[in-house]
Amino acid sequence: MPAVEMVGVTKTYRRRGGQPFRALDSLDMTVDTGGVHGLLGPNGSGKTTSIRALLGLVRPDAGVGQIRLLDRPVPDELPQLIGDVGALVETPLFFPAFSGRRNLELLAQTAGVPGTRVEECLELVDLRDRAGDRFKGYSLGMKQRLGIAAALLKSPRLLILDEPSNGLDPAGIRDIRELVRRLGRDGRTTVLVSSHLLAEIQHVCDSVTILVRGRRIASGPVASVLSRAGTNDTRVAVPDPATAAALLAAAGFSVSPSPDGQILVHGAASPGEITRVLAQHGHYVEELVRVTPDLEEAFLALTGNQA
Amino acid sequence: MSAMLQQPTAPGPTATGRRGSLFRAEVHRFTARRFIQVLVGLAVLGWLGAVAIGLSTFREPTDADVSAARAAMEQAIADEQMWREECLTEAERAGDNPEVFCGPPLDASQWRVEDFIGVEPFDLASAAGAGAMAFAAGAAVLAFLIGATWIGAEWSSRSIVALLFWVPSRLKVMGTKIGVLVAATALLGVVAQAAWLAMGFILRSFVGTSTPLPDDFWTELLPAQGRSVLLTVLAGVIGFGLANLIRNTGAALGVGFVYFAIVENALRIYDITLERWLLSTNAVALVFPGGIRLYDYEAMTANMSEPPYYLVTNLQGGLVVGAFAVVIVGVGVLLFARRDIH
Ligand SMILES: Nc1ncnc2c1ncn2[C@@H]1O[C@H](COP(=O)(O)OP(=O)(O)O)[C@@H](O)[C@H]1O
Ligand SMILES: [Mg+2]
Repeated sequence: MPAVEMVGVTKTYRRRGGQPFRALDSLDMTVDTGGVHGLLGPNGSGKTTSIRALLGLVRPDAGVGQIRLLDRPVPDELPQLIGDVGALVETPLFFPAFSGRRNLELLAQTAGVPGTRVEECLELVDLRDRAGDRFKGYSLGMKQRLGIAAALLKSPRLLILDEPSNGLDPAGIRDIRELVRRLGRDGRTTVLVSSHLLAEIQHVCDSVTILVRGRRIASGPVASVLSRAGTNDTRVAVPDPATAAALLAAAGFSVSPSPDGQILVHGAASPGEITRVLAQHGHYVEELVRVTPDLEEAFLALTGNQA
Repeated sequence: MSAMLQQPTAPGPTATGRRGSLFRAEVHRFTARRFIQVLVGLAVLGWLGAVAIGLSTFREPTDADVSAARAAMEQAIADEQMWREECLTEAERAGDNPEVFCGPPLDASQWRVEDFIGVEPFDLASAAGAGAMAFAAGAAVLAFLIGATWIGAEWSSRSIVALLFWVPSRLKVMGTKIGVLVAATALLGVVAQAAWLAMGFILRSFVGTSTPLPDDFWTELLPAQGRSVLLTVLAGVIGFGLANLIRNTGAALGVGFVYFAIVENALRIYDITLERWLLSTNAVALVFPGGIRLYDYEAMTANMSEPPYYLVTNLQGGLVVGAFAVVIVGVGVLLFARRDIH
């Protein structure tokens, strides 16, 4: 039984005065139970919208698509299943004048979660020391962590985190990734985590769905999907690109011109080899960088521009 | 991040097995709100102040008060007589008829010392109705503020959206919040009227007349107080509805102010017969014993002893204010239930 299932879901936003905008375009998504599943896509690709649709916050266009969470239809059976789903969508929403602890306690009380669990979750996100302070005084990272703690309160079977490392410092990001990975391995929690960062998905996820412009363009185990998305290009800048390119091609590299008139070397295992070949022929490298592609570009490359 | 990552080993609480209480959590949320606490605290201070002022203004006149009053009256009579003498002299000089010009001579026996006594004892029988109205007005304003901030702050922090991750039924979320508000404002209305009775009896026992209360004292007062409680609840609901539609406390208060200060007055000027449908008119008519009469002075003719009037009954007042509350809340709740939430 998949933990999340979305078939052909379309969502059109009607903006005041503007053109209607299709944020989800017949989106399919399947998340198998257990482990960490990534929802990867550039900004504006519809990650948040699809999560909102999963939680019944936005209504997909009438008459199309279907959504199931934990094998129950959404939104009809949300009240029955919500006790097993914890979520953090975009920014944490808490009452600014209440302490972090009170905010959690109020939520816990609505669902009959024991008070001890509040402390456990505060501990889990390392907020125990500051739990008595007002939410409005928290740093961005602390707010985000409190949001995660709230999502964990129910000991959910399905945990949905929308860009959880947004606004966190590197140490905070590492902590969150660690937490997500461990939750995914505990045998009872399925984590769905969205991100616009390829590296983040690579680090924490077992499987991934890639979203571009509201459509799924790839999905499957992270290793196999991302090997196609990540590029292995190296950009080489030299005073005489034409000659250098010919030299490299002769040495067995796959070469093409880069958009800025320099050279792109594809699939070079070691950049040092490039430098060596060029230096032997009196060409000195001015700049040599691994190209990290713009995510959307990479996706488009990956899918042969079908998106 | 700590190593305490274990989820509970026992299966977590399931949706069906939970015994949470949204209502209780919302009651806690309500009572924990600082602004609401401050408003209630100010109301208590206001009551203490009113009692203190009442205790210091009312009293049974003492002998000293009476003799001071007698002296003041004699002084006034002397002044009056002196003024008349001067007047008569003036009139004679000018050749006017002195009796016509200066009026009849004053009759000192008509003057009463009581009229010169600045202090009087508190008379609960005559003050009860007006006091109940004043406390109703105060409670209604307080309830409006509380209702507006109760939901307005939820929208500005958007914590109501987070609540939907816990209770996905939007009608239930809104319904519970309204339920808590209705319970709280009903309590506020009752406490306000009880506070007025307490104040009335405190003043009566310390600085009041001891004349027995009239037989119909309670039969007149209690129904008016009951209707005051209803008004308090409706005011709270209207404040809630407004802030829920506008999704901001401050803006809701602004709209409320503009409505009462400008819109109602403009409507009165535009067409006086609209008066009977205005919210403030109907709110007053709801609590005022027997409703209120709106006189039409322009339609009065010489052979009428009284201008014709339109009677806004208690019932009309309740229905109009109630309908207003239901519509304004209903629209907000419906939009909340149906719209996408971001
Ligand atoms: N409430 C809204 N009204 C109109 N357009 C919206 C609204 N919310 C999101 N969108 C648009 O839908 C697209 C997808 O947004 P979103 O789901 O937030 O993307 P992501 O989370 O992947 O960044 C964006 O182009 C965004 O501008
Ligand atoms: Mg987003």
